[in-house]
Order: sequence, then C-alpha cells, then structure tokens
Amino acid sequence: MVNLEDLKNEAHKLLKEGTVKYIIGYERGTNGLLPIPAFIKNPEDVERLIWDPTCVFNLTRFLVDEKRRKASEKEPDERPVGVIVKGCDSRALVVLLQEKFINRDDVYILGVSCEEAGVLDEKKLAKTLKGKKAKNIEFTKNDNFVVMTEDGKTEISAKEILAERCLECKANFPVIYDILLGEKVKRKSDKPFGSLEKFESLSKEERWTFWKEQLDKCIRCYACRSVCPMCYCDECVADTINFAVTADTTAEEKAQKIKWAEKSPVTSENFVYHLVRAIHLAGRCIDCGECERVCPLDIPLRLLNKKLEKEAKELFDYEVGFDPDQPSLVSSFKDEDPEDFIR
Amino acid sequence: MEKILTKKSFPQWVKKLSLYKIYAPVRDNDICNLEAIDNPESIDLDCSNTVLSPKKIIFPQREIYLEFETSDENKLQVKEILPEETPSVIFGVRPCDAKALTLTDKVFSGDFKDPYYWKRRNSTTLIGLACNIPPSPNCFCLSVGGSPHSKEGLDILMTDLGDKYFVESLSEKGSTLINLAKPLFQQPKAADKKAVEKTQAEAEKKIVRQIKDIKKIPSILENMFDSPLWDKESLSCLRCGICTYLCPTCHCFDINDEVSSSSPVKGKRVRTWDNCQFPDFTMHSSGHNPRPDRSSRLRQRILHKFQYFVELYKDYQCTGCGRCISKCPVGIDIIEVLDKVSDYGS
Ligand code: SF4
Ligand code: SF4
Ligand code: SF4
Repeated sequence: MVNLEDLKNEAHKLLKEGTVKYIIGYERGTNGLLPIPAFIKNPEDVERLIWDPTCVFNLTRFLVDEKRRKASEKEPDERPVGVIVKGCDSRALVVLLQEKFINRDDVYILGVSCEEAGVLDEKKLAKTLKGKKAKNIEFTKNDNFVVMTEDGKTEISAKEILAERCLECKANFPVIYDILLGEKVKRKSDKPFGSLEKFESLSKEERWTFWKEQLDKCIRCYACRSVCPMCYCDECVADTINFAVTADTTAEEKAQKIKWAEKSPVTSENFVYHLVRAIHLAGRCIDCGECERVCPLDIPLRLLNKKLEKEAKELFDYEVGFDPDQPSLVSSFKDEDPEDFIR
Repeated sequence: MEKILTKKSFPQWVKKLSLYKIYAPVRDNDICNLEAIDNPESIDLDCSNTVLSPKKIIFPQREIYLEFETSDENKLQVKEILPEETPSVIFGVRPCDAKALTLTDKVFSGDFKDPYYWKRRNSTTLIGLACNIPPSPNCFCLSVGGSPHSKEGLDILMTDLGDKYFVESLSEKGSTLINLAKPLFQQPKAADKKAVEKTQAEAEKKIVRQIKDIKKIPSILENMFDSPLWDKESLSCLRCGICTYLCPTCHCFDINDEVSSSSPVKGKRVRTWDNCQFPDFTMHSSGHNPRPDRSSRLRQRILHKFQYFVELYKDYQCTGCGRCISKCPVGIDIIEVLDKVSDYGS
C-alpha cells in the first residue's frame, strides 16, 4: 500500500536538497472530492500533498506547459521537475520521451502504484451514493474502497466505482520512475478492450448513427484536446489561426493557408475535429481517460482511442507506452507490416 | 396571477401549448441537457442544472448572418438571413439562468439592438423553477444579488410543493400560457402561500457557498491588473472553453465566412461563440497577442465579470450558477479566486 507519509517525505527530501525545482502532485480542491494539481516549491508545503483514489488527473500534461515556460525564460533553472505519476500517466511520459518532446533529465519521476485498485469515476460514485456526499475515500485491500459519507463509513467494491480505464488497465503501476511507491501488483480479472465489445457488435449504420448523435453534442470547447498530454502541437488544425503568424508573414501567405475545420459546431466540422484528433492519437494514446472525464457533454471519447489502440495491437503488434526506445507506430516501418488495407 | 397546478396535470398543460416550440431539461444518463421536446413525459424537472443554460437557445452557438454567391456575371449577391420568430417556451429555467439573460439583454441592446438575439428573445417565454434544493453543490446566487426563487427575467415562476406546483405569472406572456389551459389550474389556498414562503426560506439556507466580500471586489480589482495573483491562480488552467461556453452570461462571439465553393464563390457568413480563454481569441493578424498567457486570460475573465461589467451596467456579470466551478477540469474555482482578491485588498 502506498503510504502518503512516504510520498511526502520523498518530496520533502527532493525539494530540500534542491534536486528538483518543483513537484507536480495532487492536493485537495474546493469542488467536492475532485483534487487540484499542486505545484509545490517549498519543502514545508509537501503537507498539502494527497494520494487517494480521487487522484484522477494525468499530471504529465503539465510537463508540456513546463517545457514552453522554460523555452521562454532567459536563464532557465536547469533542474528537473518532479512529477507524481500513476501507471497510465507513466506510459504518457514514455510517449513524450519516445517522441523526444521531453528529455529524461528534465523530469524526476515519483511513481505511485495503484496496486490492485485504480482511480474512481466520480459519476459512478455519485450514482452509488445516491445523493450522499463522500467526504473521504481510501483504498483497502480486498478490492474495496472505504468511503466516508455523512452517515459514516461504507465499503464499496472497487469494480463498482472504478474508472472504466482502470478496469481495462494493462499495468496499474508505473513503468518508468526514479522512485517507486507501492508494489508492482496488477489488478486481476481485467479485460483489456472490454468497453469496445458492445460497440464492435454494432453494424456500420448503427455506428454512424451512434457517433453522429454523440458528436453532434460537441460544443468544441476543446477541453478534450487541452487536457491531453499528447496534444502538444503549437498549431492545431482545429484552431482559427492554425499556423504560426509572425510580423513577417505576408498577407498572401495568410490568405493561402487552409482552414481545416470551421468553428461552427455542426456535424461535418465536429467530425473533422474528432477524426483528426483520433488519428493523431493512434499509437500514442495511453488511455488515461482524461478526455472523456473532462467532456462536459459526456461524449464517450475513450471508445475512439481504444479502438485505434486495438487496431495497432492487432495489425502491427504495437503496444504503446512501455518502451521509450521503441520506434513510434506511425513513423516506423517493418517488412512484415500488413498492407492489405492499402488499396 | 397565482395558481396551483397538480404534478399530474403538468403534462396536460404542456400538451395544450402545441402552438409553441417547447424546450425543457431532459436527462441523458449522468447529465441534463436543455432540449426541444415533443413528448411532455420526457421532461425532467428534477434535473440538476442543465449543462448549458437557455443561452444556447436565445443566443445559439451558430447563427447565420447572410448567404453570398457570385452570379454568372461575376456579381456578388448577398442575402440577409434572419432567424424565424418561432414562439417558444422554455420550462425549468433556473432563476440564475433567467437573471443571466437580463444581463445579456443589456449587451445586445445599447446603440445597436442585435436583431438575431432579440428576435429569439422576444418570441420566447421563460418558465422558471424555483430551486428548493440547490441544483449544484457550487450554487452561490445569494452572493451576486440573486436567490433560489428570484423572479427576475422570468415570465412564470413555478415552485414545487410536493404533489403540486405553485405557479406565479409575472408577465403578460406568462398569463397567456396559463390561460391556454385555464381549467387545469386552481386557486391557491392560504396554506399554499404559506408553504411557498416556508420552502423559499429553507431553500436559501441550503445554499452553502458564498463569496466573502463581493461588494468590495470591483474597487479592489481596479488596482489588480498587474497583480501576481493571476499567475498563481491560473497555473493549472488548460485554456479550454468550458468555463466560458458553459457560463450563462458569457456572450463573446466570432464572425467567419464559411466558403463552400470557390468558383463560383458561395458561402455563408456565420457568427459562432468565441471565448477569452482560447489563445487565438486576441491574436492580431501581425502575430502579436496582447493576452499571450493563461494568467492574462484568467484576469480577463474575472475583470470582465466583476469590474468592467459593473462599470458599464452596474451589475456583476455572474449569477452564481456554479457551472464554471463544477465543470472546470482542474478545479479552478471562481469563488476561491474572488476570496483571494478580497484578501488582497485588505
Ligand atoms: S488506468 Fe491503471 S494506472 Fe491509471 S489510474 Fe487506472 S489503474 Fe491506475
Ligand atoms: S470536451 Fe467534449 S464538448 Fe469539449 S470539444 Fe471535446 S468532445 Fe467536444
Ligand atoms: S461565472 Fe461561473 S458561476 Fe458565474 S454565472 Fe458564469 S458559469 Fe455561473
């Protein structure tokens, strides 16, 4: 079991000795149980850190901000940034390293294992508690969560309230780390692509109807893109200005740039946005589920990414996020790669 | 006009309004949306507050201004498009969302009365539902001049009294809707009025969140443009559009030409929602961006709502609906930010 005190002690030491410039972790927020990302600089502030099943965020997203900030500084602090990662988050870090977006020397990885559990799905929890408010929630052994509500303690089977991705997690402990807290044990009874089953049984027409209905709800707030550690492009085809403009860009150059997707939230444009995003995540999405969690309209975005993950596995025997030295899926080629889908 | 309507008769009332387009909260698994409905049975008035407010109907995310096309002689022809005036009714409007429309009214009036906005606004009747239980744990209407049973901006206010509604008409538009189904409504008894008063008093007590020192905030903000607070509070901001798109009072828009064919040139000029949290919102054509970072964008959101709007219209541009707090992916909490602003001033 991960002991929060150990985590705090490690963080304290790193800050005190000046090994890292700051640590990205979790702390309690003000919106119910949802934590907020903590950026901790002073050793005494490690007291704010928390670690429990509410720690859903993939904090590696903030390494993207850090890289940009550092690039804009005249005399940047060259020390690494400490970041707390779960299993899934660590796989995101592997992709960022594999793509050379981040240097290994720039991060100090504090790995925490979800051990036999994972993180919770707020909506599932709310349904299970039927209006009661959770005040605190802890892991226990025996695949249960202990939830404190105003009526006292209740034990809820982890399965009932775990995030869908955790039920399908390939390794719920970090695959890369400088320090590891907790044990490398894996949840049992996992179905790696379980959520796809229902979806794959649909006909082509049914799938079209399903996705049209879902994507028509999209208001293009781009939270799904903004929360994603893999969506680090400076220029995104979805934005109105999707190319770098400088004082030297001529009017002609600007006029010739293609507008890939209009701002209008209509079927065609929403599909362009979502398909571009899905394709750009093939072989890169590590299934932290953040896009789906943040979507205010509850669009099941994970399904798209999961499907591509499965295709990558079946067609190219490619598994994402375990080896930073592995060539990336879309920029590498093997003789035995199937070609039957290229016509 | 004050009436009583049993919950059993409610669907019949909706049926009687067949001349109107009806919008109401409907449940979609874990969330509630405001949708056009055909069947009164699909209305769910027990919903938490809807993901988007009635803003999405009165000020839709996409509005076509005009269509253009070049003729054979290569002349540009332009056709103005105005929304049809479809008489509409929105059920289940929360008091904060009705108040929000009164704020947007101010923005779309003034020197120029926006015809798109006002055509929809004038043809819509708003039927409110008092919040006996706060529909969100982050409701704070009491701090910004509202209340869970405020009538501002509404045509009718309904209060849930268990097996019946207390229905109060607040405008001519409202009375028309009641008169269309007169036999369904009864006269309220003295006990009903007492029950309403009691429910309302209790409702206020259930609102737990509040802003510490709202009155002082506009003047404190005047001196906070260069404060380090913005940097600190926006560290985790993802620059997504949730807080602004979901806000019932945010009203910024963009205008684009959507060209569907280049020869002959053909297309539409459309207005779509835009928002100050997107990095390209203030991007100049030179490449210069006066609000280049998350800190200047959070500052804009707060200053617009609690300083500039107050200077212009003598009211906060926030009605305390709590949406931006509940849905922010990283838990940025406008109440917390404002409380830190007050601390800053003292
Ligand atoms: S997906 Fe795996 S590693 Fe990530 S939170 Fe769930 S169990 Fe933990
Ligand atoms: S988070 Fe949801 S609503 Fe926002 S852009 Fe993504 S899919 Fe659309
Ligand atoms: S600022 Fe937030 S709380 Fe205020 S009206 Fe807008 S969404 Fe609601």
